Amino acid sequence: MHAARNLRLCTKDCVCLFICPTGATNTENGQIDFEKCLDGCRLCVDACSSGAIYLVSSTYPKPQPKEEGVVKAIFDLARSKAEQEDVARSISEASDDAALRQICSVFEQSSRIIGEDLWRESGYIIAQSEATRTLLKTMIKEHGNLEGFPLEEVEELLSRLS
Amino acid sequence: MDADVRQMTWTELEALCTNLEKACSKQLRGEEAAAFAKLASFYGAKKEVKDNASIADLVALINADLSEGYARANKEAAAANDRGAKRALLWGEKSSKLLKSLLARYEKQGAALTENTGVFVCEICGFVYVGEAPPDICPICKVPSFKIHPVRKEAI
Repeated sequence: MHAARNLRLCTKDCVCLFICPTGATNTENGQIDFEKCLDGCRLCVDACSSGAIYLVSSTYPKPQPKEEGVVKAIFDLARSKAEQEDVARSISEASDDAALRQICSVFEQSSRIIGEDLWRESGYIIAQSEATRTLLKTMIKEHGNLEGFPLEEVEELLSRLS
Repeated sequence: MDADVRQMTWTELEALCTNLEKACSKQLRGEEAAAFAKLASFYGAKKEVKDNASIADLVALINADLSEGYARANKEAAAANDRGAKRALLWGEKSSKLLKSLLARYEKQGAALTENTGVFVCEICGFVYVGEAPPDICPICKVPSFKIHPVRKEAI
C-alpha cells in the first residue's frame, strides 16, 4: 500500500516533505515516489491539511460474487450500449452535417461511459481479479493469432495482475 | 459468470478494455493501463460501420433499453440486493433518458438545437447537457463540473 498525491487538491504546504521518513514525497514530477514510499506508513496522509494524499492498495479482496441473473441483464444492456455506439458512429461517418455529427459524438461518448459502468458492475470493477485474468486468457486464445494483437503486452499484463 | 469473449462484438470488447484501462489508471498503474489501452485500440480498429444507420435506429434501441432492458436489470438487481448494480443502473437509466430526449429535441429542432450553445457529457456517468456551461455538480452522479466535458462541433 503506497501513498499518492491528488495534485488537484494539493496546496503546496509541503508538510508531507517535512514528515516523510524516506523522502518519497519530494519528487520532480509532483507525484509521490511509489518505490520509496513505505508500505502503509501513512504519516503524510494524516499530516496533509488539504486532504490531498491518499493510500492506494496493492492488493484487493476478491470481488463480491454476483448473481447470474443480474450479470446477464447487465451484459444485455452493455451489448445494447455498444450497438448504439456503433449506430451513432456509423451515422456520423456517413454524414457531413457538423450538427448531426456532434449529436452522434455525444451519443457515442455517453453510451461508452454508461457501457463501461455496466461492465464495472458485472464483475470487472478492478483488473486484479480472476474474471479479468480469465478474460485476458480467452482473448489470447481467441484473438491472439489475429494481426496486430498485442500479445506481448497482454502476457505481461497477465503476469502483473497475478 | 464471465463475459463470453466469443459472443461479444468488437465494440463490446473495446468498452470492456477501456473500462479496465480506467480502473488501472485510477490505481495509478500506468503500465497496466497502457496495456489495456493498446488492447482496446486493437479491438477498436476492427469496429465495423453499419450501412444505412439512422437516428430512428438509435431511438428504437434506446427505447428498448428504457422499456425492457433497464426494467429487467433493475428487477434482478433489486431481488439480489446488489447495491453496485443498482447504482450503475440508476445512473445509466437516467443518462439514457437524457440521450432519448436529446434525440427527440434534435429531430424536432435540427441544427438549431446546438447552433449557439454547447453540449456537454459527464465522464463519470454519461450525463448529457445542452447549454452555455455545465452545472457545477453533475445532477446524476454529483461529480464536480471539471469532469463534465464539452463535445465540440467539428467541421470535416
